[in-house]
Amino acid sequence: MPHLVVENLTKVYERGKIRALFNVSFSVEKGEFLVLIGLSGSGKSTLLRCINRLVEPTSGRIFLNGVELTKLSPRAMRKVRRKIGMVFQQFNLVKRATVLQNVLAGRLGYNSTLSTLLGRFPKEDLRRAQECLERVGLLDKMYVRADQLSGGQQQRVGIARALMQEPELLLADEPVSALDPATSHSVMQYIEQINKDGVTVIASLHFLSLARRYGQRIIALKAGEIVFDGLPEAIDDRKFKEIYGEEAEEVEVR
Amino acid sequence: MKFLRVRLLSFILDLCLWAYLLYGGFTLHYLNTRWRPWRPEEKFVAPELSPLGWALVVLGILEVVLFTRAFGPSLGQRIFGVRLVGEGGGKPSFSQRWLYFFASHLALFLLWFDPERPFYERVSRLRLAPLPEPGTEGPGPRWYFTTHGLSAFLFLGLTLALGWRLTEIDLRSFVGKASKSLRIWRGLINPDFRYLFVPDPRIKLSFIDGLVQSLYMALLATIAGTAVAFPLSFLGARNIAARGPIGWLVYSLTRGFFNVFRAVESTYWAAIFAIWVGFGPFAGSMALFIHTIAALGKLFSEQVEHIDPGPVEAVTATGANLLQVVRYAVVPQVIPQFLAFTIYRWDINLRMATVVALVGGGGIGRLIFEYKDDLQWQLVGGVIILFMITVWIMDYVSGWVRERIV
Repeated sequence: MPHLVVENLTKVYERGKIRALFNVSFSVEKGEFLVLIGLSGSGKSTLLRCINRLVEPTSGRIFLNGVELTKLSPRAMRKVRRKIGMVFQQFNLVKRATVLQNVLAGRLGYNSTLSTLLGRFPKEDLRRAQECLERVGLLDKMYVRADQLSGGQQQRVGIARALMQEPELLLADEPVSALDPATSHSVMQYIEQINKDGVTVIASLHFLSLARRYGQRIIALKAGEIVFDGLPEAIDDRKFKEIYGEEAEEVEVR
Repeated sequence: MKFLRVRLLSFILDLCLWAYLLYGGFTLHYLNTRWRPWRPEEKFVAPELSPLGWALVVLGILEVVLFTRAFGPSLGQRIFGVRLVGEGGGKPSFSQRWLYFFASHLALFLLWFDPERPFYERVSRLRLAPLPEPGTEGPGPRWYFTTHGLSAFLFLGLTLALGWRLTEIDLRSFVGKASKSLRIWRGLINPDFRYLFVPDPRIKLSFIDGLVQSLYMALLATIAGTAVAFPLSFLGARNIAARGPIGWLVYSLTRGFFNVFRAVESTYWAAIFAIWVGFGPFAGSMALFIHTIAALGKLFSEQVEHIDPGPVEAVTATGANLLQVVRYAVVPQVIPQFLAFTIYRWDINLRMATVVALVGGGGIGRLIFEYKDDLQWQLVGGVIILFMITVWIMDYVSGWVRERIV
């Protein structure tokens, strides 16, 4: 059974009647590293957010481990979200809070509302936070305010927050678009490492070269529809122009 | 559809403007010629006209509106950002404008056949087009050569003139009777601090007692008001509360509560509570408390609506529930602004604490109003100077603290 199945997913934004996704279907095996590519506005972000229902799909069905997510109650959906980590283009850290507080936020779904409102977390979670921060090489920054960190470091905190959830699926929405090329590779390597530990990864990426380097499989979106689904090597010049338009030229990120 | 809306709304705006200008001008003329201060009962009498007269007035207003719209851009057209242009986008000719003016008289009967392009625009071969970007068509005419500029000028001028009349501004007594207030000023610069520490035997309150009472009225109202406004502010923030129909209801009710209770000034609240719980500082602090909830609640809610949505999304994605999202993604973002608003509100409450005494709120304000009623201006001066020094110190301190926080 595939890990994630998306069936005929369509999303129309009410305001302005914009069709962000149209009839998107694909499935992902456990432990796969799937990369989404496409121009800005092609629907990559919407697709990722439909999977954990940050965005409510207009129609279509999504299954995770055979469970239909699109039918779940909000409460049940929150339970499922705990197992789906997410990393964002703008990192989405609480800038005024410490790194530790940001990372601990990853455990909110596992703890009781009352104790977390009082700011209490079990010792187990504190230990886990240290572990996760050590994994992304930021243990020494634990008590630093998040806005004191560089972009690459902030994204690593974002990864640590997702790791705290002990995810089985990691969604990465353009995780490196706000970073410079050298930092991009460092961040991508952390995500690759997580994937090697058995976590299924779906990442949207801007640069095809990054997608080729890290992706085991590529899905290309254009105006909300899948125009390519296959191995990275299968994207030749003609296919590339089809995805990105006639004027596009491939840029290498080293 | 959009252009129909622009036509209709700008027309209504023009209609209101010219109805105001003509009716207001008439009222001004009436006040200037007929009204005398010794016959105040005649002040705001509506003019009496026969039905035919009223019909003529309405017709006159309509004519002026249509005329300014043809020889526009009228103020309504200007505000909605449209103007008349020729078929090719050029400037309309004089005769085209006259044609437009006459044809638009029939608009009421014929507009609805094709609202996208009413017949009077087709006849005169003109159309409404968006105003050009500023700077693309040279400097343009000076404001007093444009219809909308002149209309706005008339509007301001008439408002000033009517305001002058209706507020009964009387420069002669402002200058001529100035000497009557002299003893007040004399009292204020010769303050009497007799009861600074010793309680006034009649009122049974010393200046310092009153001041401390007022300070604590303001403090209590600020702290308690903030404590209530804080949780309410999340219910009044669209991005947090307004999810689903029930959420919308909660959001609208909370915002409505803020707006209604904020619109009623603390002084009126004090008057209500003075009757409810009796005269004294309790009534005053209740008034400040209620007003603080509403005022801070609204400011807080707006702050919550302006947060970065990123962390909210991220924390939601971890499987947190709404309360946890608020606690971990919203609160850390708004705390500094909330603190700054609270300190600012403490400033306001301290000043209001003296005013609510006017209707029985207690505190130092009570001394001011008691002494004022007894015409003891030197004592009034003493209290006011003490209060001014306190407010000045508080302002300075709170300003300094606020700068540190944000």
